[in-house]
Amino acid sequence: MDLIFFKSAVALYLVSSVSFFLFLLGSSSLKCPTGLWSALAGFVCHSLSILHRTFFSGFFPLATPFDALSAFAWLITGMFLLMQYRDASPFFGAMATPISAVLMIVGATLSFQIKEPIVPVLHSWWLPIHVSLALAGNSVFALMAVCGLMYIFQERLIKKKRLGRIHKLLPSLETLDIINRRGLPIGFFLMTVGIVSGALWAGSAWGFYWSWDPKETWSLITWFAYAAMVHQRLVLGWRGKKAAIMAIMGFILVMFTFIGVSVLFTGHHSFRNPVLRMSGS
Amino acid sequence: MTSGVAVIGLNHKTAPVDIREKVTFPANVEGSITRTIQSVPGVLEAIIISTCNRSEVIARCDPVESAVHDLLNAVAHINGVDPVLLKKYSYIKTGADAVRHVFRVASSLDSMVLGEPQILGQVKDSFKRDSAASTIGPTLSRLMHRAFFTAKRVRNETGIGLAAVSVAYAAVELAKKILGDLQEKSVLLIGAGEMAELTARHLIGQVMRPICVTNRTFENACRLADEFGGEAIRVNQLSEALTQADIVISSTGACEPIIRVTDVRSVMKSRKYRPMFMIDIAVPRDIEPNVNDIDGVYLYNIDDLQAVVSENLGERMNEALKAEEIVNEEVVKFMNWTKTLDFSPTIVALRDKLETIRAREIAKMNGKLSRLDDNQREVLEAITRAIINKIAHDPISFLKKTKSSNRREVNADIVQRVFNLHGFSNQRDDVEENFEDEAENRN
Repeated sequence: MDLIFFKSAVALYLVSSVSFFLFLLGSSSLKCPTGLWSALAGFVCHSLSILHRTFFSGFFPLATPFDALSAFAWLITGMFLLMQYRDASPFFGAMATPISAVLMIVGATLSFQIKEPIVPVLHSWWLPIHVSLALAGNSVFALMAVCGLMYIFQERLIKKKRLGRIHKLLPSLETLDIINRRGLPIGFFLMTVGIVSGALWAGSAWGFYWSWDPKETWSLITWFAYAAMVHQRLVLGWRGKKAAIMAIMGFILVMFTFIGVSVLFTGHHSFRNPVLRMSGS
Repeated sequence: MTSGVAVIGLNHKTAPVDIREKVTFPANVEGSITRTIQSVPGVLEAIIISTCNRSEVIARCDPVESAVHDLLNAVAHINGVDPVLLKKYSYIKTGADAVRHVFRVASSLDSMVLGEPQILGQVKDSFKRDSAASTIGPTLSRLMHRAFFTAKRVRNETGIGLAAVSVAYAAVELAKKILGDLQEKSVLLIGAGEMAELTARHLIGQVMRPICVTNRTFENACRLADEFGGEAIRVNQLSEALTQADIVISSTGACEPIIRVTDVRSVMKSRKYRPMFMIDIAVPRDIEPNVNDIDGVYLYNIDDLQAVVSENLGERMNEALKAEEIVNEEVVKFMNWTKTLDFSPTIVALRDKLETIRAREIAKMNGKLSRLDDNQREVLEAITRAIINKIAHDPISFLKKTKSSNRREVNADIVQRVFNLHGFSNQRDDVEENFEDEAENRN
């Protein structure tokens, strides 16, 4: 049943992506109702899917990469749709649904619905705390990166004096910069608390807080990157294009830490070989 | 049915300005002139639209052909122009053409500046005014609401109103795309020129903070600053002013650029790289073109803005073609609706029969009623009328609610048979008019 919700969410996100794409290629009107409504419908299905899985497994569905990526996609879609509601630029929706669809498909390929009961070490309240904080931080960084991309694009159009339809549909430079500026401390805070909660969880589960597992190392690197960003932005007053580029670079690092590390290395967070299960048992 | 919608009017395309300024329907306060138009024989409903580029009367007439002639004379008379002259410069449209015209006007397809947004508001205001003056009946009311709907569709489904088509407006739009909300931004005006003032004027509506003005002649700066409610500064304070300003409009008569790359670089540093939008309207240039390469500075000169505007205009032309299709669709829908109004003979016959019964019964009792005084007699009339209206109400709404035309004939037949109306239909012509008047009052 939850897979029906999940599949229809993916399908609706794809429909939305295609209609947004066609809309951006087209020439008329400012709004893309098909894209927006299918995105909203997809979001509802997605929420139902997550809710259903919560009841189905009896615990927060965050333990598998499938679920984690689905939750990540859910946060991204929700946040982008909120932005579209506030700024009315269809670009938010147009960016959100393809990203979410890809994340969900990647998650589904990695591990499509694991039916075994989750291992004791994951059946802890630390799971929702740690994972949801980390994912929330990541999705704020995703929003910042997409805004950074849009900023660079919009800035280029204005500098080159090509004020066509895309220019009109993109949000203003100021709006994009504000989202980046406000997002940075929020995302940084969430990431910090996410890492700390992970360490505390490790401490309570295994007795050691930090074990230089690849994920831990890389998240520390990412943390330092964002700490540098906070410094540049808030202390040195970087803004605009520089800040946009930083947001994009930062997010590439985030995605590597989030997905790349889990796929390439083995450790607590590995996707291929769920060490967590073993270390828990 | 010979009743239908007609439009008589003139606009910027058909009449030169000296004619247009004569035909403006002056003093149409609370629709008094519209009422005069409505009193023209054959005119059942009317609405007057008068803007700086157009003046027109939209009316439902019966019969159209002869009423249009009287209408034209009435319009000429009201505005004090020769009817022959008026006829020469005006257009007269009837039926679907008239409907199309109204839809095109509301959608701004007939405007001097294609797609400009004001016209819809003006049409809506006219509609409100004449609605209050109760010169608008069900047909025109429907027509106007469909016109508003069409305009909304055109606006939502085409890009006709998307792009700015004046230099000043394009500059304001661009400023918003760079700086976001302009309310808290500040404007610096360097030098005085017509174009610069115009752009500044457009910006004033958006900006809360006072505008800064500088000029080689300080007195001129003061004069302009007074006009804008801003402050005047001396030329030697320019770099400080640049540090403050978010939007800079420059149009001096200087032969050499007065703002150079090096100046702007240092200004950007002291303004902590807050973005700046610079508009150079002067010829020769006031601002070195390379300034545009500095991060966070967006420099547009008059040619750039003009290029934006002409591109936008071309875009509007393309979008207008799509808009015409939407208008055509809506015209067809409206014309189909007017056809559905053709349920009248049965209703007329029904009302006629009931009225006959009422009159006959009162006549029978005339002897017994002779003692009634005028007041009582009036009450009696009112009561009996109310009764037959109530009886007629349900079958009439039953007929009116029928949407498909086949069904309508069947239902009309049912009503005719139930009330035994054969012999009553198409009896008297004037009854139809009465009925229509009543229908208007009810709506």
